[in-house]
Amino acid sequence: MIAEAEVTRRSFLKLAGGAGAVFVLGSFTSIACAGSHSEAAPFEPNAFVSIDRDGTVSITICKSDMGQGVRTSFAMMAADEMDADWSKVKAVNATGNDRLYGGQMTGGSSSTTGSGYKYRQLGAAARVMLIGAAAQKWGVDPSTCTTSNGQVLHAASGRSADYGSLTAEAAAQPIPSGQIALKDPSQFKIIGKPTNRVDNLLVVTGKAQYGIDVRLDGMLIAVIARPPALGQFAQSFDDTEVRKIDGVTEVLKCGVGVAVVAKNTWAAIKGREALKVTWSPNPSVGQSTNSFSSQLHAAAIANPEPPAGARVIEATYEMPYLAHVTMEPLNAVADVRADRATVWVGAQGPDGVRKATASQLGLPEDAVTVNLMLLGGGFGRRAINDFTADAVNLSKGLGAPVKVIWTREDDVRHDFYRPMNIQVLQGALDTTGTPVAWSHQFIQTDPGRDGGGDFQGRRISYNIPDAVMRHAAVRTPVQIGQWRSVEFGMENFGVECFIDELAHAAGADPYEFRLKLANDTCKRVLQAVAEHGGWGQKLPAGSGRGIALFQGYSGACAHVIEVKVVGKKIKVTKAVAVVDCGLCINPKTVEAQIMGATSDGIAIALTAGIHHKDGVVVESNFDDFVWTAMNTIPKVEVIILPGGPNPGGMGELGVPSVAPAIANAVFAATGQRARKLPIVLDGMV
Amino acid sequence: MPQYTLNVNGTEHTVEALPDMPLLWALRDMVGLTGTKFGCGIGACGACTVILDGKEQRSCQMSIADVGSSKIRTIDGLPGDGSHPVQQAWLELDVPQCGYCQAGQIMSAVALLERNPHPTDADIDRAFGDHICRCGTYPRIREAIHAAAKVTQ
Repeated sequence: MIAEAEVTRRSFLKLAGGAGAVFVLGSFTSIACAGSHSEAAPFEPNAFVSIDRDGTVSITICKSDMGQGVRTSFAMMAADEMDADWSKVKAVNATGNDRLYGGQMTGGSSSTTGSGYKYRQLGAAARVMLIGAAAQKWGVDPSTCTTSNGQVLHAASGRSADYGSLTAEAAAQPIPSGQIALKDPSQFKIIGKPTNRVDNLLVVTGKAQYGIDVRLDGMLIAVIARPPALGQFAQSFDDTEVRKIDGVTEVLKCGVGVAVVAKNTWAAIKGREALKVTWSPNPSVGQSTNSFSSQLHAAAIANPEPPAGARVIEATYEMPYLAHVTMEPLNAVADVRADRATVWVGAQGPDGVRKATASQLGLPEDAVTVNLMLLGGGFGRRAINDFTADAVNLSKGLGAPVKVIWTREDDVRHDFYRPMNIQVLQGALDTTGTPVAWSHQFIQTDPGRDGGGDFQGRRISYNIPDAVMRHAAVRTPVQIGQWRSVEFGMENFGVECFIDELAHAAGADPYEFRLKLANDTCKRVLQAVAEHGGWGQKLPAGSGRGIALFQGYSGACAHVIEVKVVGKKIKVTKAVAVVDCGLCINPKTVEAQIMGATSDGIAIALTAGIHHKDGVVVESNFDDFVWTAMNTIPKVEVIILPGGPNPGGMGELGVPSVAPAIANAVFAATGQRARKLPIVLDGMV
Repeated sequence: MPQYTLNVNGTEHTVEALPDMPLLWALRDMVGLTGTKFGCGIGACGACTVILDGKEQRSCQMSIADVGSSKIRTIDGLPGDGSHPVQQAWLELDVPQCGYCQAGQIMSAVALLERNPHPTDADIDRAFGDHICRCGTYPRIREAIHAAAKVTQ
């Protein structure tokens, strides 16, 4: 155990007492690292890197892993700089605590770009101290020592020492001050090498622990009946039939709904089915997808005056609300006591859960422990803490540990959705077919916002003079949230479909047209995707090939996608993606992220949408909110271009170019523009 | 409450449960084996797949009363060192992302390979048509099934 309280501000390294000597290196101000403590902040010891006597290197991961692989990539970055033996490296989840670990909200593809450098510096600092320890032991100059695969080596004398044997001496070494030299990429042994994820063995043996797997003595399970329509609440309930079910222990109001609490999950689910709730009158009659659509279209304003004599092209696109449907349905476990509380949850921001729980209970933050579990998917849904609050509330009220489980129906119908939106685009071509003006109105739904600004200058990835954009919102009662690739995932659909429409209007090849207008980064990506994607090669009738680009998250990605259209059925038959993600930390993760992003884009383009009728969500589960499956996803070829010195964010980069590439491929195959998602060929204009 | 004896991974477990309790919740809540995952509750996603007398079974779609003396195999019963050829292929090809659906995918792969040691892509499409991986690991799952098939050849 690490005796945290004994670590002082001057000593960031701690040797634990007893048999298990541990070298511990925290985040400290003497090393200029991202997210380090300010002098004014209270110091609390932390442990980003620790080494056990048996040589096990534990790297504490300050961000949440929801499948994007951050537990692996952060561990790789620290391990490479310290020349650790990768087979002895472990990733350990941090608890929710921003004072120890800095902000933990995992989103915006910001983990690697924001904190990756810190892990490299921590690894490098640990290495300097391990060398110092060995050099002292041997009475040699540290500069004559080297490191390799978990050992300090002294070539002149042929001596070597395992890191595990140096923990005590290393802990006594001074902390390196100032900037520590990091490896030149040519020296990397782990970074940039295809590396399997650290959690794989746990997953394939069924031992990986997600929030839903937490079991505590005396734990009760709660399922909550939620209002069917937006704005409703439970007025009263009749639990006569519920109480007859063996295992049900409590039925009580919980927020706007009613919680059925039981000794096991099935009794809780069954209890909810038997529950009769009188809901308040539906205030959302008439609040339906069609009315939302009308609101959005009515909020469009006149496009800017195009340059005189130019040829004007216009198009409007529409995207539905989108649910996150994380594979692991939402859940949280809370054990609230009089003076403290413990929460087990898969959350994208465990530090935020801690603050919210402390404030909910009127406890100091120090009295709240948030144990971060693995996340069975996030996609932005687990960035919102609504599902934890219910567990905390119920545990407090019932005086027992409580796990709140959402069924899939709860999840689909009570999400914070990606907003429904329309996009009004106008472009102008001169007589040579060159774009001379571009305007883009992005109008989304929002429960808290209405109205919009004027057109503003906006840089897009294409060199088009007078490019402007306008953001606006219309108020609907549907709650919204962030969805993997957030605004880019929506806006890029308009941009990349419309640039295709301009190319067609100009009589140009969509790839060549983009290439002429693209900046250098995008040119390279476009050229590579055209080459690998077989751009220009003939396809059989009924098939089409589409291209789309996205630049963002400190990188760029382009897709070439082929579809085959049979009757009204669209099948994606081939997908090729090219990525420039800067410094690639783990090619296997980059490939996996692009593969997953392609799957998302296929669902977004072809099958998935959330619709409303009188304030009630129409879809309810995977049978009607249709995602992807083995037979709807082609092999995804991913090409990673050599990138710059700094890593970009990979979690979202691959999403925005997929749906427009598909829509453009559908046009190539059918001559019909797909301007409304999900694409339905029947009834298209 | 009625008692049921379940044969799970070769071990008998006697549990008290409502007769309509899905096998999924019996395994997770009563037996205490949490490797099998809840995904949809309607048999549409495959996360809860176990092997019942050699065949894939969505454990959310079978009540405990209907299990009888059938032999149930779950991911928890695969070797703890990951040495089963399907586990090996999954590890080698780095299939999991969030990992949550993989217990079901792996059990379906085990069942498929036991009855069809050399599945074609079409066989895999058929067997995995109702398996959702929200992270989109499908291409690697397919590759891993082929790789495991080669090993068992």
